[in-house]
Amino acid sequence: MKRAFGVLAALLLLGGVAYALLKPSDSDPADGAVTVTGVIGSEKRAFFQDPDVIAELAKQGLKVNTETTGSWLMGEVKLNTMDFAFPASISAAEALRNQLTIKDAPVRPFYSPLVILAHGPVAEVLAQNGLASMDPATRVWTFKMDAYLDAVKAGRKWQELKGADAHPELSGSVYLTTTDPASSSSGALYLAVLSYLQNNHQVVSDPAGVAATKDVLRTVTTMQGDQKSSSDEPFKDFVSGFGNPLVLAYESQAAELAVKGTPTGDMVVLYPDTTVSSDHTIVGRTEGGRKLANLLRDNARLRELEARYGFRPQADPAAFATAVKGRTNPTFAPDLAAAKLKQAPVPSSEVLTMLTDAAKGK
Amino acid sequence: MKHRGWKGSGQLLAAGLTLLLVTACTSGGDGPPSPRPSDPPAPTAKAGVLRILAGSELQDMAPVLEEARKATGVTVQFSWTGSLDGADTVSSGRADGKYDAVWFPSNHYLRLDDGGRSKLLSETPVMASPVAVGVRASVLGELGWGDGSKVTWAQLGDAASAGKLSYGMADPSRSNSGFSALVAVASAFSGAGSALTEADVRKATPSLKQFFTGQKLTSGSSGWLAQAYGRAEPGRVGALVNYESVLLSLNKSLAPEQQLTVVRPLDGVVSADYPLSLLGSAAQGERDSFKRLTSYLLKEDVQRRISELTLRRPVTPGAAAAPSLPSDRRRELPFPGSKVVADGLLASYQNELRRPSRTVYVLDTSGSMAGDRLAALKAALGRLTGADDTRSVRRFRDREEVTLISFASKVKYAKTHAVPATGTQPGPQAELAAINADVQALSADGGTAVYSSLEEAYRVIERQQAAAADDRFTSIVLMTDGESNEGATDGDFRKFHQELSSAQKAVPVFPILFGDAAKSQLQGIADQTGGKLFDGTGSLDGAFEEIRGYQ
Repeated sequence: MKRAFGVLAALLLLGGVAYALLKPSDSDPADGAVTVTGVIGSEKRAFFQDPDVIAELAKQGLKVNTETTGSWLMGEVKLNTMDFAFPASISAAEALRNQLTIKDAPVRPFYSPLVILAHGPVAEVLAQNGLASMDPATRVWTFKMDAYLDAVKAGRKWQELKGADAHPELSGSVYLTTTDPASSSSGALYLAVLSYLQNNHQVVSDPAGVAATKDVLRTVTTMQGDQKSSSDEPFKDFVSGFGNPLVLAYESQAAELAVKGTPTGDMVVLYPDTTVSSDHTIVGRTEGGRKLANLLRDNARLRELEARYGFRPQADPAAFATAVKGRTNPTFAPDLAAAKLKQAPVPSSEVLTMLTDAAKGK
Repeated sequence: MKHRGWKGSGQLLAAGLTLLLVTACTSGGDGPPSPRPSDPPAPTAKAGVLRILAGSELQDMAPVLEEARKATGVTVQFSWTGSLDGADTVSSGRADGKYDAVWFPSNHYLRLDDGGRSKLLSETPVMASPVAVGVRASVLGELGWGDGSKVTWAQLGDAASAGKLSYGMADPSRSNSGFSALVAVASAFSGAGSALTEADVRKATPSLKQFFTGQKLTSGSSGWLAQAYGRAEPGRVGALVNYESVLLSLNKSLAPEQQLTVVRPLDGVVSADYPLSLLGSAAQGERDSFKRLTSYLLKEDVQRRISELTLRRPVTPGAAAAPSLPSDRRRELPFPGSKVVADGLLASYQNELRRPSRTVYVLDTSGSMAGDRLAALKAALGRLTGADDTRSVRRFRDREEVTLISFASKVKYAKTHAVPATGTQPGPQAELAAINADVQALSADGGTAVYSSLEEAYRVIERQQAAAADDRFTSIVLMTDGESNEGATDGDFRKFHQELSSAQKAVPVFPILFGDAAKSQLQGIADQTGGKLFDGTGSLDGAFEEIRGYQ
């Protein structure tokens, strides 16, 4: 029982995934469409509810039911009753494949890098203190992760930073707000990046690496106090004008608003100079689930719609650039490599579980 | 110990609800907390109906939910409870199968418990409001605080300890607004740069004690707190701690001189984000209903409507906030990340930081109480002396002065216990045991002289106040199972009460309806004294526990 729970925790850890009591594929006699049901993270909810997405899937013969969850652990697991699971990382997808003993390679239709959200004046304060910079040519903001890590380890306070005194809301320790790494993918990926930096820019691969990085992971976690369970929540806090000055989010969350033309006030998107991408990876368990996975990767219309929701379609690098073209408030980096952003490799799900436990003091 | 039935708590709930409906236009309120460990009865599952256990302040969402029903076909059926009681209900599994979703101002406390967080399938914030301090305009002027936009917790603390700021705040062990304020003020006073630790709380203790000398009103629910503010003598209470949205809404019904200016302290606030949360135990049909409802509530135009109606802030990007909501930013103070810290802070508040209480129980031990009724009374009161109380929601507190008055045809005896502080010798446990021994020794015989006994309670308090010359939260609990049939009449009591000093008049009576008590008599006493009637006919345990929030 304990072991099963551990396996489940590992499954959910990276995934932003949970699952539900779901029915296997059904043929709908009325229109001949196949109904597939699966589980997705909250960041993909709007995409699957979009009428254009629904229409395109219907045209391809699929009706998709999704269960959105903030990846809470549930008392009962019925992994074998779903058509697909669509976690926000490849590691979680791997774990799901193992659990379901699925042989096919998982499909990664699109991805989205982790970014940091701040209000304009806060970004300026960061820049004045060597924690961030803006490329004058592209106007893309970069967040200096090593400098940030040093600031956290030194217990740096906002009020000690140059230029912060003009902003009374900037007080207390400098830290990023993330989701709970034990239940949400973005929080776990944050630990992955920090462990990589702390481990002299080497991916942590063994207990010795965990031991070498655990103190700082514990610090950045306890500082935050209570953490929210899904990426949707800190993002909403930021948008409603409260919450911590620095919030970790998916690029897709901000890009979706920009593409739609929704006003975002003075929101600035900062790209960590060492970042990690959330690989939205779909595991199809049934024929219908596999069909959906392939459509999301290969169908041109769906790829265009994915970019409209701020995702970066894997097989179509231009789609995202096209979608955010001309958007300057905030400004996005259409090409991550050109913006000189380094990708930290993500540890194995086993190591990431150890890092998360260390961060949570378990 | 007698287990509480659904029927009883339902009646208690109904009583609370009635009160709330009366005050709904004047306040949001944390609502009538339900007794634990039982909870309000929930309807059985029905297609298109979402059963939600919620903080009763969400009552102000009724018009929006009616529009949601028309648009989505989803009907919301609420059962009300307090935020922290609700967290217990979820953690213990008592919400499973009974409710489909929960909706409290915040899930902070719920998430601290592994058992609680694992019950939630998803959480969707719907709107937001910071906990703020509403300060009377005249007080703001006296303190030279201008329009209130630059005030810090440190200034509020200094004003309170100098006796220049008195305020009401809901009980943090029950109410999210009270708990949030406690976290904010402890963070500010400790200078903690990040989430509170036990060391931070210790460091802030002297300043917190000073700050809480200014707390003149406490309450188990924000609704009653607002009422008590409204009826308090001018000058006695100069401020109220509550959600920004509640304070702004309350102003709509307050007299001009009672109007409150909303102060969001410059050094940080704790905000509520009202997450509508799906329970893992919900069936597929209810999950679909949940999805439809949340999608509707997050639509831009619906968010604008919510903000205008409730004066909470929207969470959907692009949705405009009500024009009266200020847009300058505040630091958001993190909520403690561990249950040990959170519960420790609550225990410190109750036993060390807040002003101590003077609590008088006027207990009917007439002949009709013999048997089951007396046993129920002994169990209910005995529970308040027990140690099993992690959230400090029940137990007689360190430094509390508890007087038991047993009466029938006349007062049989009055006995006072002072619970010592922890760390002193012999410490609180021995005195708590002594209270319990007195309770267990109660015996029933004789008639019922309610009013005369109540008058005696006021005289006891007057003597105690004169002897101790202290400043305590003072209140009377009256438990009776019958009609007053001897001694003073209600008219006599009214006259007696009118002639009391202003200090005495400020002492509320919280009557508990039990057995064959005359509800109209008890309601009259509550109204006359500024108290509140509690229904103990189904669950005496629940009534005695709920009243602790007001003592």
